[in-house]
Amino acid sequence: MQDRPSIAPGVNTEHFNADQEPLTSQFAADPDMLELIGMFVRELPARVESLQQALARSDLATLSQVAHQLKGAGGGYGFPSITSSAAEVERLVKAKAEVDSLHEAVSDLISLCRRASSNPR
Amino acid sequence: MIMSRRQKVLVIDDSQQMHPLIQVRLRGLGVELISAYDGQTGLKIATEEPPDLILLDVNMPGMSGFEVCQVLKESSQTHDIPVIFLTGADESVNKVKGFDLGAVDYVTKPFDPAELCARVRAALNTKALMDLLTTQGQIDGLTGLHNRRYFDERLGQELAAGHRYERPVGLLMIDLDHFKSINDTFGHPKGDQVLRKFADVLTQTCRATDVTCRYGGEEFAVILPASTLELSHQCGVRVLDAIRKCPDFVDIIGRPVTASIGVACAVPSDRMTPAVLVEAADKALYAAKVAGRDRIAAAELAHSQTVV
Ligand SMILES: [Mg+2]
Repeated sequence: MQDRPSIAPGVNTEHFNADQEPLTSQFAADPDMLELIGMFVRELPARVESLQQALARSDLATLSQVAHQLKGAGGGYGFPSITSSAAEVERLVKAKAEVDSLHEAVSDLISLCRRASSNPR
Repeated sequence: MIMSRRQKVLVIDDSQQMHPLIQVRLRGLGVELISAYDGQTGLKIATEEPPDLILLDVNMPGMSGFEVCQVLKESSQTHDIPVIFLTGADESVNKVKGFDLGAVDYVTKPFDPAELCARVRAALNTKALMDLLTTQGQIDGLTGLHNRRYFDERLGQELAAGHRYERPVGLLMIDLDHFKSINDTFGHPKGDQVLRKFADVLTQTCRATDVTCRYGGEEFAVILPASTLELSHQCGVRVLDAIRKCPDFVDIIGRPVTASIGVACAVPSDRMTPAVLVEAADKALYAAKVAGRDRIAAAELAHSQTVV
């Protein structure tokens, strides 16, 4: 048996970073919701891809559409931070904001989507 | 719950993830959920198998929720279906506009599960009561007036009371002039709007004690308890006047509307049936039509019916 630091499983101390901590659904303890949250989370990588591609192509329509849908659904699946981050992206696109601030907001949203996890804590 | 069948809820939302979420949140209500992901499809489903409630996303690509609601409310097949709008919490949606279009409520996304349930349950309960009133009850679904079934029953009661207390019972049979051409020219949704407005004017013009009914199609009837022929005639003249001058018809079809009325009145004998009075008023109505419409004619009842 190898020597291991006695820390919580799944947390890598070396690269520990609050921004990469898994984001758990508020409804993870609700057995009715568990399967749904799983479905939602499994679809997130596809959303992330759409966001990245849209950002790269400056495809504002797609950006706004994906953000709009994430905004509506995120909180419903127990991820209110996804809703507020997506709302910010949608708002910036509508307000024809500077590319820099748009980049930043989309990156935030992408990072939240990547951290979202269906595992209850 | 007064429902004997399972109620159906149609969810129209372009965001796919909303559908399973709503499904789970409403599970406790025991309703059947149907999904549509755009306005056009939603309208098609609503027309083909009308649900008891529609949850309608406001912000959708293509047809917006407001546009969908407008179409729903213009069609006689769908205008009685209650609509709850779904909106994003940060969207500055004109809520008043939604209510003007006929929405019964709003729910903001992301929604609180208990709130969604409560609002949906309230809307479904109201719908079930309305269904009960219109199918087994005594209210005409389109106009909100009393229906034919109630009319027949009530006229019988008023005739019996009139006989007992020796007081006259008046009856107006009212027909909208050229209604078929309104339907043919402007379509049934506009025709329905005209009928509803007509019913409003009728209710406002008659006294609170008068019984206003939709007799069928574009024909209306008013029972005037304890009213002489002269009083009933005056009421009919007021109705014709109010219809002719009502500006709302111009808003709906671009021109005013007129009606024709037959009036009958009797201190009923013990043999007098509702059919006798209705027939007399109908004959007078026919005479008013033949004489050129937009007028009232009075019935001649046989002496045995003791005409007032
Ligand atoms: Mg939407």
